[in-house]
Amino acid sequence: MTMSATKLHKISWCALRQLQQYRTKANFSAGSASIASRNELFTQEQRRQREAIGRIDKIEVRYLGLPEDVTLVMNNQISTPFNCAQHLSEGHCRRSALALIDGSVPWDMHRPLQESCTLQLLNFNISEPHVVNKAFWRTCSFMLGAALTRVFKAEAKLQLHSFPGPNIKSGSFVHDIVLETQSWQPTKSEMRAISAEMIKLAAQDLRIERLDVQQELAQEMFKDSKYKSEQLPSIAQQSNGRVTLYRLGDHIDISRGPMVASTHFLGKCTVGAAHKVADEGPAGAFYRIQGVALPCGFKLNHVAYGFLEERSQKLNPARLPHEPFEEHQQMQLS
Amino acid sequence: MNQADVTKLMSQLRIAVRPNQRNLKNPDGAEGRLLKLRKTVTALMKHERIELYYNRADEARGYAELLISNAIRHGDRHRATMELADYWLLEKQLVHKLFKVLVPRYENYNVSYTRMYKAPRDYPGMYYRQSVLELRGNPYPSLLMDQSQNRNLLHNVLLDEARKEYRRSKLADLVK
Repeated sequence: MTMSATKLHKISWCALRQLQQYRTKANFSAGSASIASRNELFTQEQRRQREAIGRIDKIEVRYLGLPEDVTLVMNNQISTPFNCAQHLSEGHCRRSALALIDGSVPWDMHRPLQESCTLQLLNFNISEPHVVNKAFWRTCSFMLGAALTRVFKAEAKLQLHSFPGPNIKSGSFVHDIVLETQSWQPTKSEMRAISAEMIKLAAQDLRIERLDVQQELAQEMFKDSKYKSEQLPSIAQQSNGRVTLYRLGDHIDISRGPMVASTHFLGKCTVGAAHKVADEGPAGAFYRIQGVALPCGFKLNHVAYGFLEERSQKLNPARLPHEPFEEHQQMQLS
Repeated sequence: MNQADVTKLMSQLRIAVRPNQRNLKNPDGAEGRLLKLRKTVTALMKHERIELYYNRADEARGYAELLISNAIRHGDRHRATMELADYWLLEKQLVHKLFKVLVPRYENYNVSYTRMYKAPRDYPGMYYRQSVLELRGNPYPSLLMDQSQNRNLLHNVLLDEARKEYRRSKLADLVK
């Protein structure tokens, strides 16, 4: 009985895998050649930066925290906080969402360290988790972008616009998109499909990579995306011609960072609402997709979570995508 | 129908019990298995929190629940219950504890009397599943992290904001 059940399960699982492969292939042919080339460029640049280091210098990283304070000798420009965590324990690698450098600078777990420093590893249960919470909220917006690109068919002509800076108190994380249709009234099951895609991303436990690139390269990577290429000059202007990119699987987006180490930190997640915020030209409209999420390991009863879900469906008051930037400082893209 | 309500004849346990028993490999056979379980139940009543292999803990848990449940139902003047307590508790002073401490503690509970957690496995070592078995309401500090007190945790921030928004809307209704 159990044998046959396992067999059946295996067969259906294989079928599911095949289906997913077909889907990715179909997506690929449908218009994701740009995604492939973008990833190619990202990988090349990553390799180039790694090879440009040349002679490897050693740095001393002073780790502060449990089980004891230690000094680690690591490789400059190569070793990441994650590598430091690997020297400590598997639990540290698994639990640490974000690193804190010199007691004040939040640092991605997979971003190479630049000089000797002190290091703290942060998780969601520390007494002052504001930095981690913010990074988590930003990661949720970023993941929502990835989930949306996977969910929509090519016919929908989905274009990601941007996501505003993380504001947990608003009750929802946000991603602004442009769709070809002027009147998309999402059904419950459609929203559920997007939530399910988020959960799938979390289950895949994808590492979130960070890369600083020159503006020209970023322009080359996002040449197919109308909105991103419009945003790039002003973003680069703020940071001396450099643009920070993040990659999750094959999804690449612009963000100031920092983000949490991996997608597995996403626990409970609901993408609850899609509001049409403005028309975009004769064909197409801006939509604001919103959701709420909790880090993994956080237990909340469904009544309380229901309140949060309900609240997350109200239109988020963050700056809308079609409004002009008031100030360069406050500009979009966290 | 003039028939006794059958469901009331036996204690209904508040935990999920497996349909078949674990044999808990033992050279002395069934008798050895029972002795093992009696030792575990005795230790649980004595120490109120024990760490042991998962299978043994899960198997002993049902018997501990049954013992406490029967003690609450029948009290200490019931011969069968007394015999049951005498059988399961190897240290006889624990019979007093069962009726004088645990029965008053659990009288008004509407959840199970014991609680079981999965514990990390030994590494390197015997790779058996470990667990912690405890009586509820024991005097030790909780094994679970308390996530309700720190208002900076993400879910608490969200809940606090939702509460504030609700109050604001109520206030606006009042003003109208």
